[in-house]
Amino acid sequence: MGLLRYTLNRVLQSIPVMFGIAVITFLLVNSMPGNPVDIMLAEQEASPELIAAIEARYGLDEPLHIQFLNYIGLSWILGAVGIPGFVGSPPGILQGDLGFSMYYERPVADLMLTRLPPTLLLMISAFAFAIATAVPLGVLAAKRRNQPADHVSRVVALIGVSTPSFWIGIMLIILFSVQLGWLPSGRLVYPWRDPSHYGLTSQWELYYQTVRHLILPMVALGTLQMATIMRVERSSMIESLQKEYVQLARAYGVSERKIMRKHAFRPSQLPVVTLIGLNLTSAIGGAVLIEMVFSINGMGRLLIQAIQTHDYQLTIGTTVVIGFVFVIGVIITDISYAYIDPRVSYGEEN
Amino acid sequence: MSETILEVTDLKTQFYTERGVVRAVDGVSFDVKQGEIVGLVGESGAGKSVTTSSVMRLIEEPGEVVGGEVDYMGRTIVGFDDTGEELVPRDDMLSESEMREDVRGNEIAIIFQDPMESLNPVYTVGGQVKEFIEINRDIDGKEAKAEAIEMLRRVGIPEAAERYDDYPHEFSGGMRQRVLIAMALGCRPNLIIADEPTTALDVTVEGQILELVDDLQEEFGTSFIWVTHDMGVVAEICDRVNVMYLGQIVEQGPVDEIFHDTQHPYTEALLNSIPRPDRTVGDLEPIEGTMPGAMNPPSGCRFHPRCPDAREPCREVAPEFRVAAETADGSPHRAACLKHEDVGYWDAGPLDSGASETTPAGADAAAEEGER
Repeated sequence: MGLLRYTLNRVLQSIPVMFGIAVITFLLVNSMPGNPVDIMLAEQEASPELIAAIEARYGLDEPLHIQFLNYIGLSWILGAVGIPGFVGSPPGILQGDLGFSMYYERPVADLMLTRLPPTLLLMISAFAFAIATAVPLGVLAAKRRNQPADHVSRVVALIGVSTPSFWIGIMLIILFSVQLGWLPSGRLVYPWRDPSHYGLTSQWELYYQTVRHLILPMVALGTLQMATIMRVERSSMIESLQKEYVQLARAYGVSERKIMRKHAFRPSQLPVVTLIGLNLTSAIGGAVLIEMVFSINGMGRLLIQAIQTHDYQLTIGTTVVIGFVFVIGVIITDISYAYIDPRVSYGEEN
Repeated sequence: MSETILEVTDLKTQFYTERGVVRAVDGVSFDVKQGEIVGLVGESGAGKSVTTSSVMRLIEEPGEVVGGEVDYMGRTIVGFDDTGEELVPRDDMLSESEMREDVRGNEIAIIFQDPMESLNPVYTVGGQVKEFIEINRDIDGKEAKAEAIEMLRRVGIPEAAERYDDYPHEFSGGMRQRVLIAMALGCRPNLIIADEPTTALDVTVEGQILELVDDLQEEFGTSFIWVTHDMGVVAEICDRVNVMYLGQIVEQGPVDEIFHDTQHPYTEALLNSIPRPDRTVGDLEPIEGTMPGAMNPPSGCRFHPRCPDAREPCREVAPEFRVAAETADGSPHRAACLKHEDVGYWDAGPLDSGASETTPAGADAAAEEGER
């Protein structure tokens, strides 16, 4: 009950954060040189009337502060209470409307619905890959501290941390797609689509293709995460193994195996979970590049296109949605603290 | 006299550090009889905890037990064969898995100093007590849980059944130490090593814990090795005492004899440094200087740089650990001091040693200059 309340609180608290992101992004995109109408018209010669018509259509003819009020949705509210000059204003972010993309000529929210799932699929699988490899390797490195296995893991971690993910992605494509021809080099197969969309006959075939297409981008994006999580897992385990409660377990005849699995493991996971939560941000940045390298139509590519075409509302919308995903990630991190460590309490007494 | 359950003979444990070999325990011998509380007393760094860890064979890298013997009820915990060249572990020494399954917990249990750190913060208190009881006694999980609740009740945890599912942070320090005692006694060991179990507690709680241990010890008939630096605690609960200084035992005997017929200047000094109601802080006599490192112990008697009674031979001759006084019940009262040997101690002049010096190195230098 305390947890539900806490979660709800956190989601509500994130609304001002989202609002702040929208404000800052709005100011930033509007201070970029160039304007969207020029890009829209590209090389064509256009009459001033046409330009004015386009500007009017997208509300770009209004002064900046009015554009802001419109976008945020304050104009709609002012109109709703009957302030003259605002009556009939369209809804904005506060009303849940993320705006309209000039470049795609579609509502921003529509684009999000098609672009967010691939990015989430990529990020979740990258983190799953990172956690599934880093945790056992980190524990092993802690157990075999200063032995060959530990040294190997240290070198792997160093390489993982210091190699850019897009370069890893390109190398993986060269090796596994071009040279060996084992795995596809780009685009994803979405497991939520109908198999016939890809010319496949069964659901299992679809899942198989999904996995095949995911492996390379997942590894490319997950390697950095794996390296950092592994190092933190190792040092955290080493710290726990020196704790008195672990020595006590040994003194009571608990096997080393069980100490590794239970007594030292669980208290060690708090810093690991913290790191994973924080890394969500850097992973979103990485996902942008990985989506470019592997031609995945996700949020990252969308954001880059939006910025290149000066698609103001799409840029802000994409940024806000990415911010929201991050906030959700942080909330999940905080909730998992309570699960791992009973000293963390989300009850009313705090 | 009751049966001897633990016999430690000439135990040596070393730590190999980058700066050299630390002889943390350097030839320690003592024994524990069924049902008695044996004290192991000394300053921080004297080697008390290393001694008890060696007895449990829990010394970790870079440390190693390098010599001596530990015999527990006819079984060899530590034992070496001398091949002439080097010492090799004896065949009858218990294997690591035998130590784990047959000795640790179910025969010898341990209570650590810091109750705040000894319990795992992420598991319930009851679950931890239950786990150790289940591992060390031949009972199933359900019985172990009932036993854990019963033991928590016995050590004075109110509403033990309800508090079983609480986490360590919901317990006070004294309560946690009670939990650790419940853990130890719940495994029904023959011997409990209590490594400064009351040092981290405040005095009133310490008194309660000592009383509790005294009662339960009588009831369960468990023997204890009680590690402490507090002579007051020794007086309260121990039957016999071993006084350690720099990796060696310097005096050993029944508690009354140690207090009333002290044979070693170090023990004397420890006794003089106990605060008592009839003396103010100004009347206390602290032991001068600090204990030197165990890397390069002083020559001769290791205590000589700080000893108020030191004389010339103390610097060269290492005293033997020998019977020093008669005791009422015939159990030996041993001490390692040249006063009890025929090496000319009584004829020699006093060493101009560091009664006024504060550092052991300074004391050493001062002593040497005094000789010239």
